Amino acid sequence: MRIIHPRPNPIVAAMYTLRDLNVDVIVVHGPAGCCFMASRMLEEAGVRVVTSGLKEDDLIFGGMKPLVETLQMVYEKFKPKVVAVIGTCSSMIIGEDMDAAIRQAALGCTVFSVNCHGCTGDNTTGAILAIESANKAGLLSDEERERQTFLMNAATSMEKRVGMAGREYLSPTRGPTKLAAAKRILDVLRSGGKVCCVMLAKKELAFRFADMFLALSQARDRLGGDLLLLGNLDTGLGLPRIRGYAEAITSELKENGVEFEAVGGLDEYALLGSRMKERAETYGPDLLVIIGIPHAYPELSAGQLLVTDQPRQLANYLSMGLDAVGEIASHSMVMGAKSIVPLETGDTIRELLG
Amino acid sequence: MLFSVVRRIAIYGKGGIGKSTTSSNITAALCERGLRVMQVGCDPKSDSTRLLLNGRRAPTVLDSIRDGGSPSLDDIVSTGFGGSLCVECGGPKPGTGCAGRGIIAAFETLERLGAVDRYRPDVMIYDVLGDVVCGGFAMPIRNGYANDIFVVTSGEMMSLYAAGNIVSAVRSFSGSGYARFGGLILNSRNVKDEGRKVQEAAEELDTEVISVIPRSDTVQECESKSMTVVEGAPDSEQAALYRELASVLLSRSKDVAGGLKGF
Repeated sequence: MRIIHPRPNPIVAAMYTLRDLNVDVIVVHGPAGCCFMASRMLEEAGVRVVTSGLKEDDLIFGGMKPLVETLQMVYEKFKPKVVAVIGTCSSMIIGEDMDAAIRQAALGCTVFSVNCHGCTGDNTTGAILAIESANKAGLLSDEERERQTFLMNAATSMEKRVGMAGREYLSPTRGPTKLAAAKRILDVLRSGGKVCCVMLAKKELAFRFADMFLALSQARDRLGGDLLLLGNLDTGLGLPRIRGYAEAITSELKENGVEFEAVGGLDEYALLGSRMKERAETYGPDLLVIIGIPHAYPELSAGQLLVTDQPRQLANYLSMGLDAVGEIASHSMVMGAKSIVPLETGDTIRELLG
Repeated sequence: MLFSVVRRIAIYGKGGIGKSTTSSNITAALCERGLRVMQVGCDPKSDSTRLLLNGRRAPTVLDSIRDGGSPSLDDIVSTGFGGSLCVECGGPKPGTGCAGRGIIAAFETLERLGAVDRYRPDVMIYDVLGDVVCGGFAMPIRNGYANDIFVVTSGEMMSLYAAGNIVSAVRSFSGSGYARFGGLILNSRNVKDEGRKVQEAAEELDTEVISVIPRSDTVQECESKSMTVVEGAPDSEQAALYRELASVLLSRSKDVAGGLKGF
């Protein structure tokens, strides 16, 4: 199948993985504009992302000099502990030796390279390259490397099976407003019914989807009914930064008196569907709300309520006859978030509660 | 833009096989006939036009645009034997950067500066390195720069192998209206059964051996004086052979109108 809609790329996936490893500075070895949208968002999240700014001259004669100079500037300016140099299409096509530049720059901190470019295949290939390079640089145990590689491959195969990566082209949609979805949830609670909310959040997006837990708890407290909240918020799993997200969200939920069950970690969303389903079915809810990456939940069916942040994924669900709403542009809202960011669906619930 | 009618010939072959010597002698022979010829060396070694320039090294196009340089044509086109117009693309040091990308950038520079409009050559000779290793080295074949492609080979296996690759590259591009393949030039190395081997290879490639240049000490003698045979030993048998080869190339190529790129 030829998939033609724009989709994540391996370089950006590698950069996000480097962020999760708490790398201080990412040097993108390529043209100044390469990956700049992602770079700006990562900068918002506190990672310094800089470019070696390759020009035509460097493509022809080699880009060693600009890379060495960029590395030296980075060391002076940011006093980093860990720096990663990441390849791009242009630098890798001309066969740049980034490790030679790293040796030549001789910075007094950990510096390693990720030999990735945009044409390596699925975006997760970039993330896996980043994991392998970090492992070689001593930033990550062999065990965690194996675990991460397994999870990335699981995520890719899930996306191909049931997600956007299994469709040739999807146009983005904003979908319906959140009013009908919010009313439906409140009606079930008001009539004393049981609502189960399953959160299968992809990493930092949990900062936004966790707002559903807050809103549902408030609604249950006001209207009655019963609630089971399941979230992939295990604080003992994943790369350092990811565990930090789970810890921050968990403590904020606890402060607000929200009770939930943690099922798996924030990087395990692709694998947790069956466990979540088993738990939810034991509970036997009148309404099942699945938020985050709903297609990670096995056998989606009409009657469930899905909440996604991806406009193309939303189009996918709606075309399958599922009941779904979109929390579009969530990603830019959670970059650099330290606390839970309100969902439109959550705000709509709160507004209806008055 | 003015349109010139130009013979657009590229000479390919494995490195070290004698492309530059052959190209330079062809250029010299054509210049003798009063034709205006521009020879463009497409090899980072940038020594294609050395014999035409009597050992002088032409400044390279890529050096001239490096570090934001904005050269004029006078900076990068040198005049050699018989009024030949000598250009070297140049390129990176071995093992760094991308020589192929360099060829692309050099061609773009020559085009931007209007080299063909200014000099109105009758013949363009592209002397191109070796096997078709990447898109950059295929530039003369594609994009309308060269129209007729010839390959210099000996009877050595690797040279014939390279010739085969070039022929298949030319044929794969010819569908898009690009260059066509014109034949093999045998530059003898005194390999056993050389003539037969190259003849057989030509038949296998469904082409012809259009010229046989025997090995001759005259070539080395002239090279040691930094001259083509046409210049250094004009009355020699070898010079006559190069003149004949030049005629064969003219008869087997055609004029194409255009700027640096033909239409």
